[in-house]
Amino acid sequence: MNRTLAFTKRCIKEMLRDPLSYIFCLGLPLVMLVIMTLVDRSIPPESGMTVFHIENLTPAVAVFGQMFVMLFTGLTVSTDRGGAFLLRLYATPMTSWDFTFGYILPMLIIAVIQSVITFAAGFIISAVIGSLLNIGGVLFCIVSLIPSALMMIGIGLIAGTLFNEKAAPGFCSLFISLGSFLGGIWFDAQNTGGIMLTMCKCTPFYYCTLSARSAAALDLTADGYFIPLLIVSVCAAAFISLGAMAFSRKMKA
Amino acid sequence: MFAVEVNELVKKYKSKTAVDGISLQISEGELFSLLGVNGAGKTTTVKALCCLTEPTSGSAAVFGKDCTKDKAEVKRLIGISPQETSVSEKLTVRENLELIASISGFDKAKRSQSVEAMLTRLNLTDVADSLARTLSGGYKRKLSIAMALISEPKVLFLDEPTLGLDVLARRELWRAIEALKGSITIILTTHYMEEAEQLSDRIAVMVEGRLRAMGTLSELEAQTGRQGLENVFVSIAEGGAV
Repeated sequence: MNRTLAFTKRCIKEMLRDPLSYIFCLGLPLVMLVIMTLVDRSIPPESGMTVFHIENLTPAVAVFGQMFVMLFTGLTVSTDRGGAFLLRLYATPMTSWDFTFGYILPMLIIAVIQSVITFAAGFIISAVIGSLLNIGGVLFCIVSLIPSALMMIGIGLIAGTLFNEKAAPGFCSLFISLGSFLGGIWFDAQNTGGIMLTMCKCTPFYYCTLSARSAAALDLTADGYFIPLLIVSVCAAAFISLGAMAFSRKMKA
Repeated sequence: MFAVEVNELVKKYKSKTAVDGISLQISEGELFSLLGVNGAGKTTTVKALCCLTEPTSGSAAVFGKDCTKDKAEVKRLIGISPQETSVSEKLTVRENLELIASISGFDKAKRSQSVEAMLTRLNLTDVADSLARTLSGGYKRKLSIAMALISEPKVLFLDEPTLGLDVLARRELWRAIEALKGSITIILTTHYMEEAEQLSDRIAVMVEGRLRAMGTLSELEAQTGRQGLENVFVSIAEGGAV
């Protein structure tokens, strides 16, 4: 446990000293929150488009932000693997589980902090525009976002383990584009229907956004919250396990 | 008991044989140099002894602990300074040392004491709070060695520790390595003949995965009939009878 915590501490320090982590993990979600709020204010109310209303937008942007935690996980793991630093640590009593949890824990902490900041910004914006977010829903949503954070970290761990530091960010960017589109972050996937909705439902990102929005609205129905959250949790467990196994195999190789 | 014992070690990567049946014994406190041209099998041998690669056949042991079966115990006995830069770039010198001390299971008091001792021992005090990425090549190598030493290993592996350093930085590192002699078993791989000549108790020359010669410098000179390690090495590497 001490070894895991020592490695966790190291990863947190490395991240906090990298300006990219602030730009991608904090800056971009906040910018998107502001821009999309301005877009929402420009859409006539009679259009009936509610996807950019602050109560729907904030949880979706929180999921979008987590995709950059995935990118950062991929970048951190692949960069470490690219240098000889991990080689040195492989020759210490550290196990593959120490490494895996040592990468997951700091990323999870960053993801939770990111969610708190995104919701704090969303709360301020909601106060300014006169459509106050539900504090209970916000707190419940931050907790409900943990499985999706773990899922994103798992995908990042796989990318960072299988690809080098040049390919891993590209692989994660593909997931960010795919996830933000098919996850229904920037459009109302549920009301789109047809092949588009079917495609969205085939990705776990759709369920991340759906469960986050339901949690923020305290809409705790089976279809809106519990089943999507279960799907996200199963995917998180699968991706984390795959990532851990891949890392362990690479370490032995 | 030998500090390091290798018996008929073979390591194959698909069709390529990187290490081809080498055997050697290294005594406690000895500074042993492994020489060879690129691809001779030096780094693979070091990796097998550090439990970083599984031998195809044969065995390697550190203080009687098998590098394949007793990995966790072997890893507690060794320290390695790899060939490439192997420090955490965005941590300070002190933080890098603290990280390895924590991984080695030191408590807070011992960690702090060991870090300060290592900073002093390798003349790193002036740069203790500088980020590793801002250090010169010489300081990075010294930090790498300090990180290998802080866990108090019984065997230290130095894989080309002075590669790419200017002559002054190299000489300073030699002094640091010389200061360790006797207190710890050191296995050094290097391309610099002068380095091996100055630092080593015994020298082994590897050619195409095989151990072609092993002994003190004077023994190797007697075997090859050449004077100076560079001439001895060239003679052995070019296929001279030993």
